Amino acid sequence: TDAYLYSQSSVCDAETIFALSSGHGRCGVAVVRVSGPASSMVLRNMAGLTQALPPPRTALLRRITDPKSKELLDRGLVLWFKGPHSFTGEDSAEFHIHGGPAVITAVLQALGSLEGVRPAEAGEFTRRAFHAGKLGLTEVEGLGDLIHAETEAQRRQALRQMDGELGRLYQDWSYRLKRCLAHVEAFIDFSEDELIEDGVLNQVDSSVRQLETEIERHLKDERRGERLRTGVQVVIAGATNAGKSSLLNTHRVPPSRGTTRRPLVEREGVRRARQRVEQADLTLVVVDSTQLPPDPQLVAAFLQQHLSTVLPSPEAGMTAASDKVLLVLNKSDLVPEEQRERTEGELRERPGLPPACFLSCSTSTGLEDFLTVLQSRVKTLCGDPLSGAPSLTQARHRAHLQQSVQALNQYHQYRDQDLALAAEGVRLALTHLGRITGRVGAEEILDIIFRDFCIGK
Amino acid sequence: MLAQKLHLLRHNVLSFVSSRTGSDFTRRQYDVIVVGGGHAGTEAAAAAARLGAETLLITQKIMTIGALSCNPSLGGVGKGQLVREVDALDGLCGRAGDAAGVHFSILNRSKGPAVWGPRAQLDRERYRQFIQSELLSTPRLTVLEGSVDELLVSQPNPEEPGHHRVTGIRLVDGSHPILSSSVVLTTGTFLSGSLFMGQTTSPGGRMGDAQSCAGLSYTLKETLGLRVGRLRTGTPPRIVKESVDLSLAQLQAPDKQPTPFSFLNTHTRCKPEEQLPCYLTHTTPGVERVVRESVHLNCHIQQDAKGPRYCPSIESRVLRFPGRRHQVWLEPEGLTSDLLYPQGLSMTMPPELQLRLLREIPALHRAEIRTPGYGVQYDFVCPTQLTPSLQVKSTQGLFLAGQINGTTGYEEAAAQGLWAGVNAGRTALSLPPMALSRTQSYIGVLIDDLVGRGVTEPYRMFTSRAEFRTYLRPDNADLRLTPRGFEEVGCVTLRRYKKAVSVRDGLQEALMALQSVALSSTRWREKLGNISLSENKSTTLNGLDLLQYKDVSFEMLASAFPECLSQYFEYSQRLKIEAVYRPHCEKQSREMERIRSEESLSLPSDMDYLSLPVSLSQEVREILDRVRPNTLGAATRLPGMTPAGIIHLLNYVLRTGFMHML
Repeated sequence: TDAYLYSQSSVCDAETIFALSSGHGRCGVAVVRVSGPASSMVLRNMAGLTQALPPPRTALLRRITDPKSKELLDRGLVLWFKGPHSFTGEDSAEFHIHGGPAVITAVLQALGSLEGVRPAEAGEFTRRAFHAGKLGLTEVEGLGDLIHAETEAQRRQALRQMDGELGRLYQDWSYRLKRCLAHVEAFIDFSEDELIEDGVLNQVDSSVRQLETEIERHLKDERRGERLRTGVQVVIAGATNAGKSSLLNTHRVPPSRGTTRRPLVEREGVRRARQRVEQADLTLVVVDSTQLPPDPQLVAAFLQQHLSTVLPSPEAGMTAASDKVLLVLNKSDLVPEEQRERTEGELRERPGLPPACFLSCSTSTGLEDFLTVLQSRVKTLCGDPLSGAPSLTQARHRAHLQQSVQALNQYHQYRDQDLALAAEGVRLALTHLGRITGRVGAEEILDIIFRDFCIGK
Repeated sequence: MLAQKLHLLRHNVLSFVSSRTGSDFTRRQYDVIVVGGGHAGTEAAAAAARLGAETLLITQKIMTIGALSCNPSLGGVGKGQLVREVDALDGLCGRAGDAAGVHFSILNRSKGPAVWGPRAQLDRERYRQFIQSELLSTPRLTVLEGSVDELLVSQPNPEEPGHHRVTGIRLVDGSHPILSSSVVLTTGTFLSGSLFMGQTTSPGGRMGDAQSCAGLSYTLKETLGLRVGRLRTGTPPRIVKESVDLSLAQLQAPDKQPTPFSFLNTHTRCKPEEQLPCYLTHTTPGVERVVRESVHLNCHIQQDAKGPRYCPSIESRVLRFPGRRHQVWLEPEGLTSDLLYPQGLSMTMPPELQLRLLREIPALHRAEIRTPGYGVQYDFVCPTQLTPSLQVKSTQGLFLAGQINGTTGYEEAAAQGLWAGVNAGRTALSLPPMALSRTQSYIGVLIDDLVGRGVTEPYRMFTSRAEFRTYLRPDNADLRLTPRGFEEVGCVTLRRYKKAVSVRDGLQEALMALQSVALSSTRWREKLGNISLSENKSTTLNGLDLLQYKDVSFEMLASAFPECLSQYFEYSQRLKIEAVYRPHCEKQSREMERIRSEESLSLPSDMDYLSLPVSLSQEVREILDRVRPNTLGAATRLPGMTPAGIIHLLNYVLRTGFMHML
């Protein structure tokens, strides 16, 4: 009956959501699902479909690119589902991409950067499907369990992060934002009858501005910046005469920006050595190739054994297979060509062993390949603050933080014109932050109001 | 019927005869019985009667129907929104406010129309008169003076232990029972109420009135097994106006042009120039000293019942925030009243100390007290035991509204009263119960908060409680509620409905007319003079886009396009507000839709969560079992609820009925 107020709005303003809908962890193919009215826009932007969309429910092999930087992210299958003939009943799209964490992260981050598109909350696809009448009883029941598992995983991951520095940072923002909102709300609900201290809004102005600056700065560099500033700690470890110093002194290790090189001398003692390794971002374990067993089939076991003496115990979170270790098989020029090749074949993609590079510090043979591997490792370390963990949660955080900052802009925009709309900006910012740190209810805001002000109408 | 009722009322009012005489005139059966004649009771009775139910209102004193027992004012920030909504559903308090107001102002004028707070100081006498004459002229409504001794309920059904059905009431005088399938209790502070002043305590719910309803308390607590809590409140001393040195207080003038509460009124009874001022003054260190010296003589303040944090007595304020200056408003009690009401000075110390305290304030240094302030402690029924229709879950046909549900304030009481009356009427007429969505009204927010979360202190409305504040505005309450109030609920009269529909259509046309005038930014600047538009020169903007700008008024646009816009002058303010808020409301509509659809999925009140054959964690089961949310929406808002739990419940409610949601 109030059609004139909201005639088309429920359709045209629906938010578009995305999520990785295949399982977490390494897998061959990952499926990223998008649902909502902007799905066709997403497809056009990311799969380079400038003209017509593909026929519905038909797989199409496309280059998938970042809509902003135009960088190639992956090649994969894209599918288009026109609503209501989709899982959720809305316009939907699917990206079938390679399953590596780097590709998945890149695609999710690219999606999150699009306007009007945000990561789905746990169970949101299912709820949309349900509301569209797309699910039967058994399906709902089954999906409930699935979502439960998903939420659990997210919760555990969130908890892990919340313990750390990042968690403290988010909690601090959330607390400050809550106070900002409480003070604006106090001004709206009570200032006509009560002595609300002068300048309470001016304080909010500067707090909001400060928060915006901090969140924006965080979004720009996150811990990547921190790493770049403090440098990636690389430790070179190995037995006497394995060639640690030679590796360091080749001077042909490019001074990768921010990389510090730290030789580890055996005299420092095994205990201290292990401690250093534990704190390092990347450990290069140097082995004298001439010491390897001549039978290539025995090399893997030999290296395994060797690593266990160099690396700290697995309880410290450091395993031989960790992304934080590279094996450098030095003095390759002193090993027969044929033996080296067969050993290389044996070690390729060996589970439980880090990548191994044959290299000769004296002749520079194999140095180029080694540097490529090293560079990609450093890049991952700098680019991914969770170093190793698939940063799905991180993509969610990013999106919510971005939306938080956008919402705070609304506060300034309306501050002098309409305080209800200005407050709406702070409310929205808190809602987005709350999706990371936990929901904030009206009662909590009222508690702050009554704690901070003497209200007594 | 009407003649009989008039007779009855006149009989009681004029001769103060006992209710026994009165009851000779009453029938023995009604569709709806409302107990209590305060803000909740009068709205409930009027709403049930508007719905078509034969209704009986029972009150201890007909004289006090419509009495403002505490502050002489109505509305405010958040509360004003409630008044507008009650009015939009054809309730009484908005029109009563327009008839009785002597000082009108819109609070928060500078903060945005969504949070404007229409408010008025009232003439107590005029308010009471308006409510009484309104009830008198309501068809199908009978008023009876008397005290209810007992609520009559059926024996519990053996198949549903603990479930009762209301059958009627019995009066204190022991006369025959009056039967009814719906009873609305609006007993305010009279449920096990006790009054406090200094060290003396006496039973009662309001000074000067009869004692508490002990029989009712017994039925609710013992027979029906309802959980109750205890709250406290208080009222300030009334001061003789002549004894106040108003030259030492700061004058607060009303708005030059009073804005009526009611959508039906274009002006208020009180003329602009007849309005009375308020005065502002402050506490002094001397006030704090008197409070500290009297704490040991003050029973009320030593009790641990929960008082409101936002309406504390002067004692609590001083003790909680020492060393500060607190505001005191001196409010008129009416055009002819010789009293002033000191808002902010509710107190429970002995009367002689109350006088000492007042005289510590410069403007009150010679003040005389007419009636001293006092405190009240009373039982409330934990409102989580109610459904969103305000019916007690375990008792078919029993509805509760007002302070009995743990709220404070006239407006909160009136809002619940109206909705309880609507549902009592619907139940009596065999119509399904209805709920109001929190996405559509403050009344919905109020009731959803009460029944979904319960209360720990007297509940008062604030705009910060409403998620969709930019949509739930005072200006559009008629569009939000009146058409449905007529078409679906049945509590709105045809006259109001027609008016709302014509406003709605007029606004709709005007909005379309605004959208039809489209010019480039350059051309707009030429037409309207030097206005700042952020858009590029070539961008085309329509009139509605333009109206969003701070400096653009509808009048400016209408003078630029008189032929198509000038006919909508009467809507100019509403159009401006609509233009500014519309984009924001549209952004929220998806979230609103989600909340509404989840609110509409009802969870049966007798659901056995502990053994429900779906996979839910023990923790979630216990939360659900304890709170027993009425709808999936309420369940979603429970702390500790998981997304998976919601999906499982969603699954469950598929097999159960859907509650109709407004």
